[in-house]
Amino acid sequence: MKGHVLAIVMFVVLVVLVAAGTVHSARFTPARTPESAVRSLFEKVKSNDLAGAYTYVSPSANVDQQTFTKDINGRDGSLRTYSKIESVETKVLRSDDNQATVRATTKWSTAVGPMFDTRDLKVAKEGSDWKVLWESEKQANLPPQVIPVNYLRWDIIRRGADEDWGAQNVESPRIRILSMNAVEKDGSVVIMGEVRNEDTVPGFVSVGATLLGKDGKTLGEETSFDKVSHTLLPSEISPYRIDFPKTKLSDVQSVRMQPASLLIPASADPVIGVLHQRLEKDASGRTVLRGELVNQSGQTVNIPHVLATYYDDAGRVIWVSDAYSDKALLPQTPVPFSVDVRDDLAANVHSYRVTVNQYSIDRVQ
Amino acid sequence: MNPTSPVSTGRALTLGAIILLALAVHGPLLLMQLPVTSYDANTHMFFASHYAGHWFNPWNEKWYGGFSQTTYPPLAHQWIALFSHVLGLPLAYMFVQLCVVLLLPVGVFRYARLWVDERSASYAAIGSIFLGSLALLVYQSGQLPTTFAAALTLNALPFFYDWARDARFSALLKGVAISVAAAAVHHVTMIFGMVLFAWPVLWLAAADARREDRKTGAAPIMRAALFTLVVVVGIIVVLLPLFMAPQAATGQVPIPHGSRDNYILNPASGMNFWVIPHGLLLLALPFVFLRGCSNARLRPLFFGWFLTLLIGLGGTTPVAQVLLGTIPKALAGVDFFNVLTYERFTFWATLMTLPIVGLLASELIRRMPRFAPAGLAVAAVFTCALAVGWTYYRPINSSPFKVDQVVSFLQNEGHTKFRWMTLGFGNQFARVSREVDASSVDGDYNSARLLPELQASGAGQLYNAKYFGTAGMEALRSMLKHANQYGLKYVFVRDRYYEPLLAFAGWRQAEVYDNGNVTLWVKDDVPPARKLDFGVSVPGWQGMMWGTLPMLSSLFAIFLVVALPERRRVAETVEFPSAAASAATLREAN
Repeated sequence: MKGHVLAIVMFVVLVVLVAAGTVHSARFTPARTPESAVRSLFEKVKSNDLAGAYTYVSPSANVDQQTFTKDINGRDGSLRTYSKIESVETKVLRSDDNQATVRATTKWSTAVGPMFDTRDLKVAKEGSDWKVLWESEKQANLPPQVIPVNYLRWDIIRRGADEDWGAQNVESPRIRILSMNAVEKDGSVVIMGEVRNEDTVPGFVSVGATLLGKDGKTLGEETSFDKVSHTLLPSEISPYRIDFPKTKLSDVQSVRMQPASLLIPASADPVIGVLHQRLEKDASGRTVLRGELVNQSGQTVNIPHVLATYYDDAGRVIWVSDAYSDKALLPQTPVPFSVDVRDDLAANVHSYRVTVNQYSIDRVQ
Repeated sequence: MNPTSPVSTGRALTLGAIILLALAVHGPLLLMQLPVTSYDANTHMFFASHYAGHWFNPWNEKWYGGFSQTTYPPLAHQWIALFSHVLGLPLAYMFVQLCVVLLLPVGVFRYARLWVDERSASYAAIGSIFLGSLALLVYQSGQLPTTFAAALTLNALPFFYDWARDARFSALLKGVAISVAAAAVHHVTMIFGMVLFAWPVLWLAAADARREDRKTGAAPIMRAALFTLVVVVGIIVVLLPLFMAPQAATGQVPIPHGSRDNYILNPASGMNFWVIPHGLLLLALPFVFLRGCSNARLRPLFFGWFLTLLIGLGGTTPVAQVLLGTIPKALAGVDFFNVLTYERFTFWATLMTLPIVGLLASELIRRMPRFAPAGLAVAAVFTCALAVGWTYYRPINSSPFKVDQVVSFLQNEGHTKFRWMTLGFGNQFARVSREVDASSVDGDYNSARLLPELQASGAGQLYNAKYFGTAGMEALRSMLKHANQYGLKYVFVRDRYYEPLLAFAGWRQAEVYDNGNVTLWVKDDVPPARKLDFGVSVPGWQGMMWGTLPMLSSLFAIFLVVALPERRRVAETVEFPSAAASAATLREAN
């Protein structure tokens, strides 16, 4: 009998422990403050529970779950569709008994690196709980139309199947480094400048650099990686930037530049226009370069990449910065972009130039 | 030992018959090489392939630009390597796994004999053949070292009991030898599994000493401490290079794993990590509770099983999080909870429950000799079939793909001069690794890596970079940035998620394989790979130790078991009226 009591006790212990583990991670916990409503919403997104996240959206926002899911997960193969939320920070900007505005700064892990997004969300009290008045991103709905295309295209005829793998028995396109400037920022040596394709054929370009120390030894070897436009059409210019972390400029004796090029097939399509460029301060007081991108082709550009080159009054490149947009460029539809400018350099910026690099799913085949 | 049990009327099944049954069930499945598609089998075969070619040199150039295999206990891999010279690598893996599957019922039988009578123990041993948890570990997870070490641990425990209880020196020798061999197979089983299995046995030895020998339980505890001390010294000697191995400096960023879920809120995880591993064993749980709690002798086993079961429930209860997460983090700053996976704890729990289930089977057969055997057989076969079938209907690779063309590319036209990596290949990365001579900057055993780009991140494999969030993608970016330094020219992509990064970073798509499932991306200005100098090496004497001592430890254990056979304890039925005068006694016989 004593044993049976113990068995019942142990079974009850098991049930209680399971209940404790289950109740603790219950799907919906009512938000008692505006901040907790926003935080809970993004925490649910983080744990991939979009249905749970939607429970924190106010019905009065008139956003259905499908639209909300698309807002969070992205659409049209944009960078957001290649992203996952990693952390969220919230700050109450304004609050009264029934309404509040909460700033949510989210960090996303994306296919091209970490990305931060700041969004000011309105939150309303409904009964005893707070819920988010989610504002859905409106998508332009263009009328059907024909877009004439007339662009340059370079194809390559290869020698044949007996050719050695990867061998390219043609001369590489001529490229030239137009400028090079070395500065030290935040404990890193930064090499930047511009490179130009001086040939009549397109080239696949990369720029590497080796820092040599006072004793002639190599201090570091880095490449421009994604801070360059790799495909350069004839006469096209791209900025480049190469970072050497944890290096002092005073230790550097010389820099050995290693531009490389390769003949590739290429096309001038899609043409992406840059409109309304201007330098201004953002909500947090940082200097940014803003503008709009317009895809002038009839195909979707999934991930646009903006490279900005800043010049001083002598025409020298003083900084290169870049940013990816998490929205796809639909045909003829402007999409805003914003690129950080270092505050310590902003006063010296005399002019700037924006280059747009792009990735389209259908073109990488 | 005086196992508590009802009086058994029938004879126990012989171990030989049980082993033959195990061979009949698992032999064909392993001959079909089902574990080849499992999660970890290719990694273990990769380790083995290195020993097959470089027995005394554990430095492997093929992963991470070079790493030391002394970071993982070698015994399972060395046995595979040994047999691979005759059978080839995949079949050698299957053969060693088969040996383990045959060794497991022997261990379960001997372990169960500590708690129950011989007949019930034989039913427990039969049950171990059909365990769903075993089938999943073998055919889904490919965790050969886990199953190998568990089988050895179970075989060591009766010697541990004998030494603790009776101070038999031969038991000490054999118990220590088998335990050290188990550690040479799998360190995680030794750290966590051995503790969970051993404390109920020690409790039993102390209780038996008090109850039957009229002695205090102090002596068994002291002898257990001595046993532990000798085992620890043995492990340190045999696995010395493991403790001296150059290890990764950072812990791994935890990635979500279904075994850490709450199984009620995530029914899919609950099915895979709890329901399927238990199968119809779940029907026996009420009996396990009742008999385990009501019988004093079975109580240590019950509590040991209960704790292991709770941990095996992963995030369903707070127990695993507190015991393996909160407490170690507070004491030593280490969070084991998010690093470990819990399917092995469920496996151990199912093994621990078998003696009581054997008792249940024994009672059912005694009460219903016509129907119970058929019912139990159906239940056992259903449990095993369900688990094996589950790996087919819920495969871990949702869309299988072929890597033959990838292997062929890397092996031809001088491509071995360059390093390579895969993205989105999952466990097929290890398969490609073992079939090609070219070296990769990635690897499938993060504790061993020395490349600074990987050590700094704390993320696991590059081929799964996206699952490690920012840390993983930063490690991948960093590696791609330094492609020229490492001679990293080829990236095989099976997950289009990674294409934007490659495209923006200056890689271009060159070839397409397997009807577009896999694409090859290349970087054209990459010079051929050169040997990397990490400033660390494995000295020759460590290579010699690594190539001899672990293998010798297992051979020594086999020698002791064969050379010093156990005197079998046979229950003797004492006829009435003598039975009234004294309890049934045990007689030792050869």
